[in-house]
Amino acid sequence: MRNFLPLAWAVAVNSFVESVRHRFFTLFSVFAFTAIYASLLAGVMAVDQEARVLADLGLALMELTALAYVLFQVSSSLLKEAETKTIYLVFSRPVPRGAYLAGKMGGVMLTAAFMLAVMGCMHLALLSFRGFPPPEAYAWALAGSFFKLAVITAFAFFVSLFSTSSVSTLVISGIMWTLGHFVSETRFIAEQAPGVKAALLKGAILLIPNLQLFNARDAAGVTGALSPTAVFSGAAWILAAYFASLWLLARKEF
Amino acid sequence: MAGAATAGRARGLPLLFAALLAWGAGGFAAYKEYRSPFPPPGEIHVPPQGAAGDMFALAFGARRVFADLWFVRLMQYYGTADLSEHEAHAAGGSHQGCSHGADFGGGNYPLFLPLARHILEIDPGFVSAGLYGAGALAFNINRTTEAEELLAYGLRYSPKEWKYLNVLAAIGYSKAGNPAAVAEQIQPLLKEPECPVMLKQLSAFLNKKAGNYAAAAVIYADIAATSHDAAYVENARRELSRLAGRTEK
Repeated sequence: MRNFLPLAWAVAVNSFVESVRHRFFTLFSVFAFTAIYASLLAGVMAVDQEARVLADLGLALMELTALAYVLFQVSSSLLKEAETKTIYLVFSRPVPRGAYLAGKMGGVMLTAAFMLAVMGCMHLALLSFRGFPPPEAYAWALAGSFFKLAVITAFAFFVSLFSTSSVSTLVISGIMWTLGHFVSETRFIAEQAPGVKAALLKGAILLIPNLQLFNARDAAGVTGALSPTAVFSGAAWILAAYFASLWLLARKEF
Repeated sequence: MAGAATAGRARGLPLLFAALLAWGAGGFAAYKEYRSPFPPPGEIHVPPQGAAGDMFALAFGARRVFADLWFVRLMQYYGTADLSEHEAHAAGGSHQGCSHGADFGGGNYPLFLPLARHILEIDPGFVSAGLYGAGALAFNINRTTEAEELLAYGLRYSPKEWKYLNVLAAIGYSKAGNPAAVAEQIQPLLKEPECPVMLKQLSAFLNKKAGNYAAAAVIYADIAATSHDAAYVENARRELSRLAGRTEK
């Protein structure tokens, strides 16, 4: 137990280095750069709203690119290690499953943070090149995107431990991502619905992580700080997905 | 052996319980805290061919991006008819009656209000779009009732937005035939970064009409220096050169 954190950190760093060295990482980086650069065109079309369009489009593209790569990583990570028998090597040493899982999750989250940081720098450079200052509360918008990615990463790890293929992990996590953004709409429908329907919808709201909580870049025209509740909820969902994944991992025989 | 497996599974149960507890705590805290600042889905009136975009806006939490795209579409819609008019005049060899001055955009745009309102339905915080839409409707297209309707919608979600209130007051003065008061109402907006160039143009025009050439020149100079809209910049430069020799009334 005393070695838990150093072991988890070692796995996380290894996982991070591995994912950054992956050839798909370069592909995603090129795609992200091209997409952010292409947003210049939309910005020019918005004439006097160019700064706003460039900022919004860039932030959205960064989040979606990081999401795609993170889901790709999670869906293949454990599966690949089981297929290549690497996982047997790890578990034949005194590495607790909890530390291994925490390290794997941490590695992907580090990758997400790294991607957001690199793309953020590119985006700010582009804005500066066009003569615009950094958008208001830009760091909060990035932090919000990171929280969303962290929650979906943890959830995707849980899914990857019971799904039969990486495609199903991708699909289920993608659906959760979408549902997570629909929570406020679901709540509206629940408030209008009668009796049992309302109770069912409210139950569903409690089961779906409300990703709108972290959507600082979209917050009603003014990007703002994440609330302490948002941070608490995010941490709770990540922890819950970690425990549930650990429960599944503990039942597997390696 | 089977006993050991059962014992292993039993040891995992607290993990499952902890997972459910943590997930529930997160969900409950979020449910208590979160109130959507956006209009409910029932209020979104989707213009033709816009449903898929709106679906993406909600599904990916990208309301701002899609509001931006609707704004670009609104500007394209608002620009197209006048460009056709201009091209028709050019083909006829005469630009007489072409609306490039203060009356720019004074054509017939039946979809203007639905498109402008839709931007606010997606992102009610897009104040510039609300001001742009209301200004164009009230002062260029002369549909003040629609402009007031748009501002009233904007104020529902931004009740403390003084810029909307100022434009609303300016529309009132415009209806009462008091251009000087319209210019006065718009004046505080001009320093705001959200102020659409079209309102600046209107203010400059009203000041020029009232004989306040110095004030008009300051606004035209601001347009020429800050706007990215080539048509407005060109017009501002032209007006500046015209105003250069004039003196105040």
